[in-house]
Amino acid sequence: MGVRHVRALILIFAIGSPISAHEIGTMRVDVVFHRDHTWTATVIGTRRFVPQAIDIRFDGVKVANDRLSGDIPPHAKTFTWRYSRAYSTYALSLRNEGQSAARQWIESDAASKTFVLSRAVVPPTRLETIRQYLALGFTHILPEGLDHILFVLGMFLLTARVRDVLAQVTAFTLAHSITLGLMMYGALSVSPRIVEPAIALSIAYIAIENVVTAQLKPWRVAIVFCFGLLHGLGFAGVLKELGLPRSQFLPALVSFNVGVEAGQLTVIAAAFVLFAYWWQSKNWYRRRFVVPASAAIGAVGLLWAVQRVAS
Amino acid sequence: MRYAWLLLISVNLFGHDFWIEPSTFHPAVGQTVMLGLRVGQDFIGDPVARSAQLIDAFTARDARREQPVNGFENRDPAGFVRIERDGVAVVAYRSKANFVELPPQKFAEYLKLEGLDWISDTRGHREHFFRYAKTLLRTGNTSSPPSHVRDFRYDIVPESDPWSAKPLRVRLLFEGKAARGVLVTAIHRDDPSLRVSARADAHGRATLKLPKGGVWLIKSVYMIEAPKDSGVDWESLWASVTFER
Repeated sequence: MGVRHVRALILIFAIGSPISAHEIGTMRVDVVFHRDHTWTATVIGTRRFVPQAIDIRFDGVKVANDRLSGDIPPHAKTFTWRYSRAYSTYALSLRNEGQSAARQWIESDAASKTFVLSRAVVPPTRLETIRQYLALGFTHILPEGLDHILFVLGMFLLTARVRDVLAQVTAFTLAHSITLGLMMYGALSVSPRIVEPAIALSIAYIAIENVVTAQLKPWRVAIVFCFGLLHGLGFAGVLKELGLPRSQFLPALVSFNVGVEAGQLTVIAAAFVLFAYWWQSKNWYRRRFVVPASAAIGAVGLLWAVQRVAS
Repeated sequence: MRYAWLLLISVNLFGHDFWIEPSTFHPAVGQTVMLGLRVGQDFIGDPVARSAQLIDAFTARDARREQPVNGFENRDPAGFVRIERDGVAVVAYRSKANFVELPPQKFAEYLKLEGLDWISDTRGHREHFFRYAKTLLRTGNTSSPPSHVRDFRYDIVPESDPWSAKPLRVRLLFEGKAARGVLVTAIHRDDPSLRVSARADAHGRATLKLPKGGVWLIKSVYMIEAPKDSGVDWESLWASVTFER
């Protein structure tokens, strides 16, 4: 008797015997609905399992299936299981990933009771995906992306002139979109051990340049573009951890990028409203605000660079 | 797919056969035989774990004595028995009542499938079913057929040597008396499409011409009206015997 058989028997003890005496077989079926919008079934305790005899239904609609796994259809709310080649009573366990299992006894070839799928396992609609990834992109900047916030503030502190800010933001956006896309499509791969310290150094560079000069030099936009490429690699690292739905890859990718953009523009708008609008025309603005703030940002950037290399 | 052909055989499954599958049908003296309980169709079944809730009696009887079949609760195989001497050991399993209620159409089809054509389904479709399963373990070269299992309300009793190549004569006994007209079917384990059926005569006797050697399941279902206070309409008695010739 293998470990799986023992587990099946423990289950039989654990969930008690059915109300009346039934011929309980050794078969046990575990179905799990995963957050990546797939389902898998594990069958143990039988050597005669015939996958073609499974009748899997989402919302009452039969799924063409002869395997013990598959995709959960969009909008699905309920699930039922039936196995027409079962002759004995067997234990069926149904579980949404991250939740406890619902267990029931199935009388031979009878259908299971309806199982309610959690929202987390059902594929979202395109609109829901767009909304979700917009939010993820935005929150990756505000409030979670302090390094990106400091970089954007660094760009903004040089000069609050709309044309200059626009030039930098456009270069930055274009660049991070390129590397984010290339990374997510697998065309490019760079280790976070290189990317993360480089992002910290980019923050330090931008801030230090603010201390050194008060004008938008021609190379500044080019450098911001290069740094944008770096930050795109960082965004991709985060997005890879979050995961992109296979069925809606492009809408999710674009939405995330737009969300990031919205986050950055919010930072700039907030900076403008909070201090630039009031003080940029003052003769002390650069000396007493831009230089100290840039120096602080530069110091933080250097500190992070050291920390990230060390870790 | 190895078992894809199973789908082509019968589609369902109104009442399921029940039988005993020993680890060997020809044990040596001193050998312990594992006894698996199976429920299924076409001699293809699910293992059934031992359950005190189900078992009314589970015994092994040889020429000298009868002993209980021991086993571990909720385990498959459901029991084991040690063979003590040459001859035939009959392992007999008798269940308690199980309840089932079938929809009218399924009930009618089930009656037809099991040859229970004398039953009127106007009475109702609720039933208690009982299992009377046995297996014949042969040690040595004995050729004497085993006798009726006393405690079986319904029994398939071989009257000729089950291990010879000659047609097998069986007698179907309901509460020790001839069960007339019932259907008895033999199914070969390695080729479940190989089935031999016969009707019992007025003396409850039937002859099965088993075309080849191997492991055979012989099964028959008998049905009677249930007692009035039982809460069901019918009692069905499922008899089976397995052996290897």
